[in-house]
Amino acid sequence: MTAEEIKKVNSLVPIKGKIIKINQETSDTKTYTITDENGKKPFTPMPGQLGMLSIPNVGEAMFSITNQGENSIDMAIKSVGTLTNALFDVEEGQECGIRGPYGNGFPLEKCKGRDILFIAGGIGLAPVRSLIMHCIKNRADYGKLTVIYGARSYSDLVFKEDILENWAKVDNMDVFVTIDRGEECWKQHVGFVPSYVEELNLPPTLTFVCGPPIMIKFTLQSLMKMGYNEDEVITTMEMRMKCGIGKCGRCNIGSCFVCLDGPVFTMREMNALPQEY
Amino acid sequence: MKGITKEKLNQLLQALSGDYQVFVPAKTSDTVTKFQPYGEGVQMFWQENTLLSPKDIFFPQTEKMYKFKTKGMSVDIATITPPDAPKILFGIRSCDVQSIDCMDKVFLTRGYEDEFYKTRRENTLLFALACSTHADTCFCTSMGIDPQQASLADVQMSDVGDAFALEAKTPAGEEVLKKFDANLVELSNPKIVPLDEILIHVDMEGVSEKLEGMFEHPLWDEVSSKCIGCSTCTYLCPTCYCFDIDSKLHGEDGTKIRCWDCCMFSEYSRMAGGHNPRPSKKERVRNRFMDKLLYNKKRHGQVFCVGCGRCVAKCPVNLEIATIIQKVKEAAI
Repeated sequence: MTAEEIKKVNSLVPIKGKIIKINQETSDTKTYTITDENGKKPFTPMPGQLGMLSIPNVGEAMFSITNQGENSIDMAIKSVGTLTNALFDVEEGQECGIRGPYGNGFPLEKCKGRDILFIAGGIGLAPVRSLIMHCIKNRADYGKLTVIYGARSYSDLVFKEDILENWAKVDNMDVFVTIDRGEECWKQHVGFVPSYVEELNLPPTLTFVCGPPIMIKFTLQSLMKMGYNEDEVITTMEMRMKCGIGKCGRCNIGSCFVCLDGPVFTMREMNALPQEY
Repeated sequence: MKGITKEKLNQLLQALSGDYQVFVPAKTSDTVTKFQPYGEGVQMFWQENTLLSPKDIFFPQTEKMYKFKTKGMSVDIATITPPDAPKILFGIRSCDVQSIDCMDKVFLTRGYEDEFYKTRRENTLLFALACSTHADTCFCTSMGIDPQQASLADVQMSDVGDAFALEAKTPAGEEVLKKFDANLVELSNPKIVPLDEILIHVDMEGVSEKLEGMFEHPLWDEVSSKCIGCSTCTYLCPTCYCFDIDSKLHGEDGTKIRCWDCCMFSEYSRMAGGHNPRPSKKERVRNRFMDKLLYNKKRHGQVFCVGCGRCVAKCPVNLEIATIIQKVKEAAI
């Protein structure tokens, strides 16, 4: 069944999926590569969209889709609760339930031909990475790509291969990585993401920010100081979700449902929402 | 005008029951009235609206969504077809009909149709009953609802003394009245029993617009302090639609269910990892009333209160919507 058919049949019922590959990112985060039961892509998300993953006897939760292959989607998941702890313990070959894609996704039209800055902290790189990978795959459609990424420590950095090797080799792409406190093995920048952003002082451009709430808050403050435009600073939100289709009620911030109207919001949109997230 | 004498009402309901599952307002215990399938032993209740709203006919309190089997690394998922037997909701009041309009907006619009709801909704005819009496707690007229004419009814019934007049409002309603014409009688010069004046008046004028600027208002500290988070308001409210999704497990077999949830519960919006955007009663009470009176108006163009008065009657601490509307109206900003 394709995603379109699922939407027609029943948006709340998952199809059967399979976790075909698991990559350990950090001590508490793994990336899961998921296909449908026939080894095909369960559905084709737009960058920034979400998917509902379930181990049916444990639970179901919404995750961002960090990348997609021809026949699979990837979700990077940190072990923090009942379902994610169970997922942390599964092995390759585990079957699952999967439904989606949900949410608005990143505004691709707005990105066309533009220089783009990506700012991420911790596991927040996962949603932004879907757009980074899209831009890399369609390199000619976009201008200069810049990534500023930080985590608490070297071992907390996710997608190390991408941030420390692959992306630096991409044509017209810069990657700046920082960790909160210095470590002996670490030769690159040390410090928090918001201060690194100010230090680099890159000229205002279309910017995507994602990370822990505290990092987002201070990064947005820094960007405003630096003259960035509210309509051109874009972020993603998280709330608890059950249905994913704007019916079950709980993921609202004001009148917006994050699952349906989000998860992607411009800073101007965010500023118009009640501060309740 | 066609109608059914009250004396022969049972005959009509029996005839309808041949083709439909007919739900009628009934007394099910000393303290509970609700819509029940018509049948032997049902103690019908016509004096005033039912304590429980009929929303569970379309949106059951607990509903099976699909079955699954988990064994080792394997998972199987089997769909469950929602019941599509034709139903008649016989005697639903104008306020509750209006609440179905709200539910339709939630479950059938904005890009996704909820198949469970849709199947039940599409197979149910609404026989609305004009109110000839009201409870002390009713305030539907303040919410723009006519208690004697229901907006989405297939058939509008009116109390004309010793009979109910029946008027078809949709082609589907016309069809069913035609089919059961033999059970109906021609009423000569029927006079609809008038409704006494409703006691509670609330003034909604400008309330939604005023709430836009009241997110940080001290009103929410004041009103939320007495909420005990009991969920009575949300379960009784005919427009409350929030649900949870959970599993029932029997060894390897399981059933995914959804059940009514309540935004007054602290776990409702608490995320894995512990963060809760609405950690205290203040945020939760504020969110509920904002949702009813402002957020849904922005989403769906209408306020999600139909003035049925159930929360007015049953909130154990009198923290109900009519009072809140009044307080918002009077609040200094």
